[in-house]
Amino acid sequence: MGDMILPLEEEEDMKRRNTFSINDNVDLLVEILGRLDGRSLGVAACVCRLWSSVCRRDSVWEALCNRHVAGGGGGPGTRSVVAALGGYRRLYRLCVGPVLDRLAGGPGRAGWAPTREEAAHLSLSLSLSLFSIDCYERLGGPRQRPASLLFLCKPVNVS
Amino acid sequence: MERRRRVSNILSLLLAWPPPPPPPRSSLPTIWERAEMGPYPFGSGTAASGWTDAESSQQSSASEIDGLLVGAGYRVRSSDLRHVAQSLERLESAIGGAPADHLAAAEAVHYNPSDLTAWVDSMLSELAPSRRPPGPLPASPTAETWPDPTYFPLPPQPHQMAVVAAGSRQREEEEEDSAIRLVHLLMSCADAVQRGDSGLAGTITDEMRIALTRVNTGFGIGKVAGYFVDALCRRIYSLSFSSSISVAGSASEYEILYHHFYEACPYLKFAHFMANQAILEAFDGYDRVHVIDFNLMDGLQWPALIQALALRSGGPPFLRLTGIGPPSPDGRDALREVGLRLAELARSVRVRFAFRGVAASRLDDVRPWMLQVVPGEAVAVNSVLQLHRLLRDPGDDAAAPIDSVLGWMVGLRPNIVTVVEQEADHNKPAFLDRFTEALFYYSTMFDSLEGGRCAAQQLQQQQQTTMAAELYLQREICNIVCCEGAARLERHEPLATWRARLGRAGLKAVHLGSNAFKQASMLLTLFSGEGYGVQEVDGCLTLGWHSRPLISASAWRADDNVAPPPDNQLFSSSVTASVPASTISSSDNNSINF
Repeated sequence: MGDMILPLEEEEDMKRRNTFSINDNVDLLVEILGRLDGRSLGVAACVCRLWSSVCRRDSVWEALCNRHVAGGGGGPGTRSVVAALGGYRRLYRLCVGPVLDRLAGGPGRAGWAPTREEAAHLSLSLSLSLFSIDCYERLGGPRQRPASLLFLCKPVNVS
Repeated sequence: MERRRRVSNILSLLLAWPPPPPPPRSSLPTIWERAEMGPYPFGSGTAASGWTDAESSQQSSASEIDGLLVGAGYRVRSSDLRHVAQSLERLESAIGGAPADHLAAAEAVHYNPSDLTAWVDSMLSELAPSRRPPGPLPASPTAETWPDPTYFPLPPQPHQMAVVAAGSRQREEEEEDSAIRLVHLLMSCADAVQRGDSGLAGTITDEMRIALTRVNTGFGIGKVAGYFVDALCRRIYSLSFSSSISVAGSASEYEILYHHFYEACPYLKFAHFMANQAILEAFDGYDRVHVIDFNLMDGLQWPALIQALALRSGGPPFLRLTGIGPPSPDGRDALREVGLRLAELARSVRVRFAFRGVAASRLDDVRPWMLQVVPGEAVAVNSVLQLHRLLRDPGDDAAAPIDSVLGWMVGLRPNIVTVVEQEADHNKPAFLDRFTEALFYYSTMFDSLEGGRCAAQQLQQQQQTTMAAELYLQREICNIVCCEGAARLERHEPLATWRARLGRAGLKAVHLGSNAFKQASMLLTLFSGEGYGVQEVDGCLTLGWHSRPLISASAWRADDNVAPPPDNQLFSSSVTASVPASTISSSDNNSINF
């Protein structure tokens, strides 16, 4: 009866047992971060070393890329192909991300308004094609800079 | 953006006016043409027939009576020609604007119009006494200044801002007029070249060079005109047409320019993607496939196909690629290097791959047995901007190389033939027609290069890429303008002509399908230029800039109703092989055999 006055250390111990730190549960962290969009994932990678290492996992980016394709991303072979070409993180950074950005920017420019599934499916296949070209250029050795994807870069205003 | 639109406006204006017919010797040119052509001494009735005549006539006294106008009854000093021309323009506008009763004055004073200079001045002073010439007239008659035809005297404006706005608008108008004049000069020069009048052509060339200084050659019509003036100069000042006066560089230079052209604009990417889509669909269900590329270059088309085959349902087939290309001069085997890279890519995505390179300096040197087509495999022939090099003059009765190449190609019974060609008619027999078409086509092309560039102007790399792409196009321009006969390789023909030709050779058209159209449209959304557009024409796709198609992609297959040629044409080896070929293959155990 009455208040239990606990010594300070026990109080803190109880607090620690009751609080929950996401950094202790990496699997949960992976699940949550896997649901973010590309930009947020990039921001999350700047939080701390643990988060940064989680964000470097290809599975997180794979989930992100596949989320845009109805039906889950094109089969088991896709993963090995993408891994061979450079990984999902690079695929998103170089191709899928810019494609989605451009699509969001102007739907009517193509003269044809795609449905969401069409846009998603086509953007993935287009991204894979462009990605393979980029990988091929990188095979050319250090003297050849991969440049065929430059057109996807956003214009940098240095004025 | 407005300036870019203006390029096509200028050219459509021009094409609405047919090129001025060459004046027959008996008729007289207009006074503008006379002013352009420079003074002729009285008595020399013939046009300048060579260099020396033109020079001597220029050196003759400028105050002599103009010879050609005397025939019409007017006596004008050669030095006054420009002044008279300008005054006549102003007189025309003054008469148009003058109130009607003023013209029907009670006291009519008649002047003798044969003294044209004085007559015009007096008419002007009568009709518009308050109007003064708007600025300093060209001081000396030999100064090559173009009196601005739209430079009509403005009523005095009280507002400063209006003057400033009018000033900048005026400058723009002046530039536009200079540009229009430049285009007119180009047409006249081309016409002179067609007639063989090298003296006149040379004179006009000098005028064009001066006109170029008045136009902004950084963009738009000025830039294109610069390239065409350069090409015309090369043609006029060369000793013979067959000498290598075009900008022929080394093959490696050409590859670098090609690569930059690939990066700078979407035409080649569009071509590759459409061809790959057609090939992918045609290979459906086959376990052994063979692709023959008429111009391998860097092999940039094939990584995407390898990846798509790796991901196709049912697993990847065994892919063989035969790449045809020019022999490398300096001992390195460029074809083999490309093949190695493609093999490594194929190995990483687990596609069984074999490469064979066929080095041939011309496509008609290739014989079908060099390609080693195996019965039972699906064959795809891919030609990106290659077939037009095999054409000859339309009126030429001799068999053109295109016929033999199409013959053996059809003999291979290909499952799919993908043909990508420029959508232009640059193979007309008359030089002026070709020139006009080329001017319009390359203006649109340069427009599109600028359109894609503006969004990323600050990227220096992008600027370099654009400049290199322009050099790539410059080679084509020089070839079209300067070369004749067998040296002229850029004989572009429109899609309709290709359809007829390929149909005659025994090929049947395959519709490219809506999937290809959607993929092309999506590809275009990635390019920052807003003017690109894909159109579908009877199953073929064309990519263009602002509704002018510039490149077309079509797919064909062997017509089953046409009998294949007898087998000895395909497999005879009586022609000894003078072209080396290298083979690279990768098998599942990850070893590369040579």
